[in-house]
Amino acid sequence: MQVEITILTVRGSATMRRSLRVSAGRLRFGRGTDNEVPLADIRVPLAAAVMSQRIGGLSIEQSGELPLRVNGGSAHSANVGPGDEIDIGPYRIVLSEPAEGLDAALSVELVRPMGDALDRILRHSRIGLEHTHLSRRRASWALFLAILVLCLAAPIVAYLAGQRVTAPTAVPAAGGASVVFRGSWNPGQLSNAHRYFAHQCSTCHRAPFRAVEDAACLTCHSGVGAHIPAGATGLAAIGAKLAGERCADCHVEHRGLRSLVIGEGTLCLTCHRALAQTAPAAAIRDVGGFPKGHPQFRASVVADAAGPRLARVEIGPKPVPADHPGLVFSHQAHLRPDGFPVLHIKPLACAQCHAPNGRGFLPITFKGQCQSCHRLRFAIGLPWKEVPHGDDRAVAGALEGFYAALVVKHGIPVAAAAPQIERRLPHSRPAAPLPSSARDWVAQQTRSALAVVFKSKEGCFYCHLPDPKLGAFRVAPVQLSTRFLPMALFDHVAHRAIACEDCHAARQSRSSADLLIPGKERCTACHGAENAAFKAQSTCISCHIFHLPRLGPMRQTAAPRIRQRKGGS
Amino acid sequence: MSLGDRADAAAGSVTRADRHESFLVYARFRFLKIAMAAMAAAVLLYAADKPDGGRFGGTWAGWTLGIVAALLIVWLTWFGYRKRSYRKPEANLVAWLSAHVYLGLALLVIATLHTGFYFGWNIHTLAYVLMCLVIASGAFGVFCYVRYPRRMTENRRELTLRQMLGRIASFDEELHKAALGVADQPAAVIRDAIEKTVVGGSLRQQLLGHYPGCATAVALTYFGRADIAASVAQAAEIRKIRMLLEEKALLLARARRDISFKAMLEVWLYIHVPLTFALLAALLAHIVAVLYLW
Repeated sequence: MQVEITILTVRGSATMRRSLRVSAGRLRFGRGTDNEVPLADIRVPLAAAVMSQRIGGLSIEQSGELPLRVNGGSAHSANVGPGDEIDIGPYRIVLSEPAEGLDAALSVELVRPMGDALDRILRHSRIGLEHTHLSRRRASWALFLAILVLCLAAPIVAYLAGQRVTAPTAVPAAGGASVVFRGSWNPGQLSNAHRYFAHQCSTCHRAPFRAVEDAACLTCHSGVGAHIPAGATGLAAIGAKLAGERCADCHVEHRGLRSLVIGEGTLCLTCHRALAQTAPAAAIRDVGGFPKGHPQFRASVVADAAGPRLARVEIGPKPVPADHPGLVFSHQAHLRPDGFPVLHIKPLACAQCHAPNGRGFLPITFKGQCQSCHRLRFAIGLPWKEVPHGDDRAVAGALEGFYAALVVKHGIPVAAAAPQIERRLPHSRPAAPLPSSARDWVAQQTRSALAVVFKSKEGCFYCHLPDPKLGAFRVAPVQLSTRFLPMALFDHVAHRAIACEDCHAARQSRSSADLLIPGKERCTACHGAENAAFKAQSTCISCHIFHLPRLGPMRQTAAPRIRQRKGGS
Repeated sequence: MSLGDRADAAAGSVTRADRHESFLVYARFRFLKIAMAAMAAAVLLYAADKPDGGRFGGTWAGWTLGIVAALLIVWLTWFGYRKRSYRKPEANLVAWLSAHVYLGLALLVIATLHTGFYFGWNIHTLAYVLMCLVIASGAFGVFCYVRYPRRMTENRRELTLRQMLGRIASFDEELHKAALGVADQPAAVIRDAIEKTVVGGSLRQQLLGHYPGCATAVALTYFGRADIAASVAQAAEIRKIRMLLEEKALLLARARRDISFKAMLEVWLYIHVPLTFALLAALLAHIVAVLYLW
């Protein structure tokens, strides 16, 4: 067959044509140079296709692995004629009407060149992380917005939409999902006492961008005592300063399980370090710390039991502080090592008289502690009868009444037969004649009994003191203290492991005037500074309290209002 | 100047690198000294303030440290914007980078002291953790800056990546010519080696330089077989193809290593920058939360 082959080569915008005539039995296409139509591209098989003549036209057949595409359709073989397009790999063969004397005419064009090798590499390669799926900009915006929404917007919405509970005295409702968002703002765990309403921020934080006000605290803590007595001399300036402080300035919340009460002594020392200069009229001693810098304790002793009037005296050897309770009492006499065998009483222990009660002890009373041993009998013949205790003015009346009742019930006792001859001891007085009337008998018996009861250093005056101003049958007033260090909070329960005698020298005390309260040096044997390593760490509030209930409330406030919002209570 | 460009510049010329002062030693460690002074001041401030109730972010020292840390975060973030400005002289940029690195490290101390060591499951600690991650990723960036430019220089040996790719392309062209005469099967292998060999690619490929099933490697294995040549004439062709493939593979490994180093110089920024924005949002939330619920 005679074929005219036109090879089209595109160079930029120009197309070059090169024609050649081939005479062959069949027309072979392929990469191999032995083909009639060589297709010099690696994508083409060595032998790609064979075109041959048939009756009435041409046919083409695939000879390699590369499928043919005839007029766009895939084909293994096909009859073709002028106008048909055959794709062999990147080449396109277009058949046209052959010229006179030719069997076929076709053009060959590389329509899909491999292109520039470098361009191809660059096109296929993604160099640089910006060509991966990573995107700094996208990730940045996503994280930025996600955190703004979750950590800023959502908690604000949760706060605003939440219940406006301003009275934690009510049992709070369950939190719900918004608790998570509100909790995400929580800068630290609440103190344990406040945790039950921890999910209700508005309980304390009542308005946005405003510090927690005292009113929030006083909803529950309105009874908290003041620190400075009203009208205290010389403390007006400090009182004004304290009045200007918010509760939350000292009681910082969200600090975990540590107490809201500040333990560090520096807070107290801010004022107490130099009160002698800042408030000299108050006559409060300066404190520089503990144990160093703390003055010797001052005890409250009874100066005048009749008042009663107390006096503050410094504990120390000079002068020896003296208590004046108005009683005659010797601890030493009561704490005999062998007890009281005659009375069948074993050695006494401290707790037999000093009954624990809270931090301290129950008050000493005659009935509670004394009467079981010290009976108030007034007649040997009447061992079961005692005069009443506690009201000396009633004693005479009680005795008179007793004898009057006796004479009413039994009459005047008949005297034993009087001896004919009265034998008396030399210088003794003759026996008083028995009264003849009941009245006289009662009066005589009463006088006799009163003489026993109010006998000097016996009877009442075995323990009590006479008071000449009050008269013969009266005793001086008694005032027994239960706390000698009222400014401190000494807890006997906390110290129960320590023997009483380690601190109180009761066995050596022979007088009720002895103050058996130890001084500072006794405390500092075990208690050290707030950062002590080998002693119990002690700070101001280990012994003292700031808010003193006896001084009245710290803050005066209006009754808390319960704010309500729509949808919440 | 982008980081990648800087790395290119640093790796491209040893003499230039020598001539330039590293941001780490800039001005005889001026910013290291400033950062040390800032850290010392923060520690002193922390130690000096002994608030009643213990140290935390809400004391005056805590506020001071917090404000300084917040301003420092904003200023350090500003560097990311500023370094994109080409109008500024480069020396100034080195100074900024030096300050960014050292003051960023100082921030870790200042912000940690600001916390008073109170941590919890809340946005405040989230902001702190994000800040730590940003600083850690930045420190990793510094490590990459110190480690990889030198390795890039050694790997490139006076060739830029584009030159390497150009040479690979010329190998491809030679391979194309050499393969025109071979049988279809080996020709197909070579065609794949030319057309399907990639440099770069996915994050994993770029970072680790692992290209499993690399067409060039496959071709090299194929032409390494002893029985591939059917005749003496073909044996010469095959030898040539094998030689071309070997040279291409060597150059390919270098190019891929270069891309891997470059990726290491960039990848930390893909953590550093998004986390910085996350930190800014968390910082904003932290500040608003503190003021909102005073």
